[in-house]
Amino acid sequence: MASPATNSALSAAIARHGPFVLSLAAGVALWEIVGRHTSPAFMVPFSETMERLWALVSTTQFLWQAVDSATLFITGLALAIVIGAPLGLLFARFTSVRIAVEPYVMILYATPMVALIPFILSMMGFGFAPKVLVVFLFSVFPVIYNTVEGGRSIKPELIEVAQSFRSSEWALWREVMVPYTLPYTMTGVRQAIGRALVGMVAAEFFLSSTGVGQVIMTASQNFDTGAVFAVILLISLLGVALMRLGRAIENYFAKWRQ
Amino acid sequence: MSEATLPATAAAPARRLSPALLRAIGGLVILLLWEAIVRAFAPAYVAKPSGVIAVIPKVITDRQFLDATWITLAAVAEGLVIAVAFGTVIGLVMGRSQAVERALRHYVNGFYAMPMIVILPLVTLWFGYTSAARLATIVFAAIFSIVTNVADGAKAVPKDYLEVARSFRAGRLRTLVEIVMPAATPYFLAGFRLAAGRALIGAVVAEFFAAIPGLGYFILFNSRTFHHNEAFVGVLLLAAFGVGCEVLVSSGTKHLLPWYRREGR
Repeated sequence: MASPATNSALSAAIARHGPFVLSLAAGVALWEIVGRHTSPAFMVPFSETMERLWALVSTTQFLWQAVDSATLFITGLALAIVIGAPLGLLFARFTSVRIAVEPYVMILYATPMVALIPFILSMMGFGFAPKVLVVFLFSVFPVIYNTVEGGRSIKPELIEVAQSFRSSEWALWREVMVPYTLPYTMTGVRQAIGRALVGMVAAEFFLSSTGVGQVIMTASQNFDTGAVFAVILLISLLGVALMRLGRAIENYFAKWRQ
Repeated sequence: MSEATLPATAAAPARRLSPALLRAIGGLVILLLWEAIVRAFAPAYVAKPSGVIAVIPKVITDRQFLDATWITLAAVAEGLVIAVAFGTVIGLVMGRSQAVERALRHYVNGFYAMPMIVILPLVTLWFGYTSAARLATIVFAAIFSIVTNVADGAKAVPKDYLEVARSFRAGRLRTLVEIVMPAATPYFLAGFRLAAGRALIGAVVAEFFAAIPGLGYFILFNSRTFHHNEAFVGVLLLAAFGVGCEVLVSSGTKHLLPWYRREGR
């Protein structure tokens, strides 16, 4: 691990990023070799995937489809946070309400929401609203669940002290409830980001076919394996980037956690 | 008679109801709200608690439903066995060898972060619209959470244990089986819990996508033909399975691994 050279910045950078670059290069090489030696319906080499990706990305149609998907993702996720966090706080504020709803929130958190998509389809049809509902349902329960968990971490003494100093309800929320639950809510937001992405693709696959989901569907129906690989790669990179973002948000607020 | 007992019992519950009672009230309120909203605003075919309860006896004795449930759960179990077998081996190797860890870490993380649903078009290209496509989806959905957790667990083995093993000249295999694996077990169970949930989702989405017979397809078919109450029984079963796995693993951790405590609880 330690390089023989003195601690120059270059060798440090190589030691840090070298293995990553190397494994990336090995992966690409493997992909290229396997792709060249199998049927193109099964797998296409990396170089061809990149060509297809470039061809796709440079069309304006793709741009609009990406905007479509992003709108869906952001709307659903924003609704989940804006509705989920206050609801979770409300549940957390009153111990008896929390005890009453906690098991059901847990059940809904563990239920595979994809199973509800057929119901949404037959009730609401093919508009934008049912798709937002899907993304919302995928992502709202982690937010509620974690916020309620955060409410659990508040020591009852804190609320008692606040009340014995005649704190107003508003001040109690501002000074105790929100600061104590926010790190937990952000853990929920991190989970919600990942789930919202799944919800977005699920909505685009199983409800009306639009956005990035439609691009994959069309490509797979045309046996255009290169384009399928290209879009999957794109969405995977997006998934990794969003996970990083979620972790960064979570860590930023984790400082508040005692 | 009641006058004598009433003040004694009423004093405490008046301030705080018992948790079990609160939960029962909470459940009842949710069901009533659902029933009321559906009755007031939704068309008659939409699932509501009274409707779902009414069809439960019919659905759970229905041959088609039982077959569908069996097929899906068997596929999930098969996929989980495959995912556990390969995932544990890969995870252990990653956890114990830094070179392998560095080579694979980014791929495992990447696949884990990837919304697994996007591989469906690819899986159907490769395996056709068959139950093999479902199995592949389940394995893909489940394996990476096992790999990452087992790798983390194998890495977290206390150094002292390994040193003791080395000073007693324990072989590599013996060290692996007797020291690394027990230390990684709680991590494995945490990974398995995630994997079971993801495997179930994988099975359902594969059935939706490729119209493969099973519980997911049962739900799809019944809701398309406006039998929402019947379809919802399938959802209840899925939820029960998800919650069941959760409960099984957490009680398993508590009973089998009493020495292990999760921090912060």
